[in-house]
Amino acid sequence: MASKTGIGCGDPRQGPEKQGPPSGLKGSERRILLKPDHEAERFVYQTKGGCPGNAKLVSRMLRGRPVSEVLPFLNDIPCRNDTSCPDQLVKALTAALKGSLNPARSFLLYTDPQPRSRIGLIGELGGRSDVLKRLIRHMRKEQVEVIYSLGNLTGNLPSNEEVIKLVRKEGILTIQGDLDWRYGQDEEPGGLSSLPLEERDHLFQFPQVLGFQVGDKKGMAFYGRYLQELPGFSDFEPFALEINMVCNLTDFLQDDTVFPALECMTAKFQAQIILFSEIKKWGCWHMGGTHFISVGPASSDEGLGWGLLKNNTKETCFEIMRLG
Amino acid sequence: MAESVRVLPEEIQNIIEVRGWDMRTREGIQRFKELKARSLPSVALDGELVYEALIPGQEELCAELQRRYQEKNRV
Repeated sequence: MASKTGIGCGDPRQGPEKQGPPSGLKGSERRILLKPDHEAERFVYQTKGGCPGNAKLVSRMLRGRPVSEVLPFLNDIPCRNDTSCPDQLVKALTAALKGSLNPARSFLLYTDPQPRSRIGLIGELGGRSDVLKRLIRHMRKEQVEVIYSLGNLTGNLPSNEEVIKLVRKEGILTIQGDLDWRYGQDEEPGGLSSLPLEERDHLFQFPQVLGFQVGDKKGMAFYGRYLQELPGFSDFEPFALEINMVCNLTDFLQDDTVFPALECMTAKFQAQIILFSEIKKWGCWHMGGTHFISVGPASSDEGLGWGLLKNNTKETCFEIMRLG
Repeated sequence: MAESVRVLPEEIQNIIEVRGWDMRTREGIQRFKELKARSLPSVALDGELVYEALIPGQEELCAELQRRYQEKNRV
């Protein structure tokens, strides 16, 4: 797969760890991804955000065309705030050709800017909007400060659209699961429930990794293994060590024979709390000063459930909350 | 661990090939699991996990390497 030279045109939800755009680019909720085709000095453009229809049109019209041919079409198009999407694209292309564009990370990292003391955790929803509504009601009663959804939001259900709208309306901080990612890329397996372009766009813009703080402890949350298959994933990216240890060394903390090695490696971690949800089983482990939490599915044979991560004055606690 | 190998006497250095695996990487983790190791540091000789959760003393390591070398090259 072609490596990706990307610019974040400033998703305002991005935390400080994200490599920001070169100076001169202004923030917006749009993103342009450039995939260089080195042989032809061309770029495959993928614009996301803004008007989905126009974004797709621009992508199609520019795909495969030499940069020199494209630039004249993009100049001198005003819109708002002394710039426009074409204007930003010109700046990005010019920077990319000069080699001064920062490469995008393989995954999008968003950091919750507020330290928290009561966090509600939702695991795999699979498109169940009815479940999500009940969980949100329960969490509000339990006075959580913020809700994190660890993916997948989507499943093979027509209510996928409602789930995506609801997480956005409720301000739930959401990371992509593997299916969410595929929907966002327009690459979901055949036969699955369809999803409007606008909702795919929203899915696309969700991060894959979430950074947060509970009390004095730094945490990170991710879905699972698919992150390692994203183009350009490096073992040395922020939080890649935690991801590799959970996924590869311990098979999501299911192989306890290697826990001695895991404990040694925790000394090199950035995070002291690590959340993941791929295996759809609840679990909690503590070693080397690090909490590992597997977030179970929102709905299972045992009923509906969510996780409460809280910080008392002296310690961080985790509790599975069941709905009657 | 790498240092303890680096300071081995020359006559030992001449009969060994050394490969280090970085446990931060997926490649290193895979090798760790292939060797069925469980803790760190681990030392394998000729693909066999020999030392685990410790760094062998130099005398002991040299003796073991010599023994294996002689075994392999016995006529």
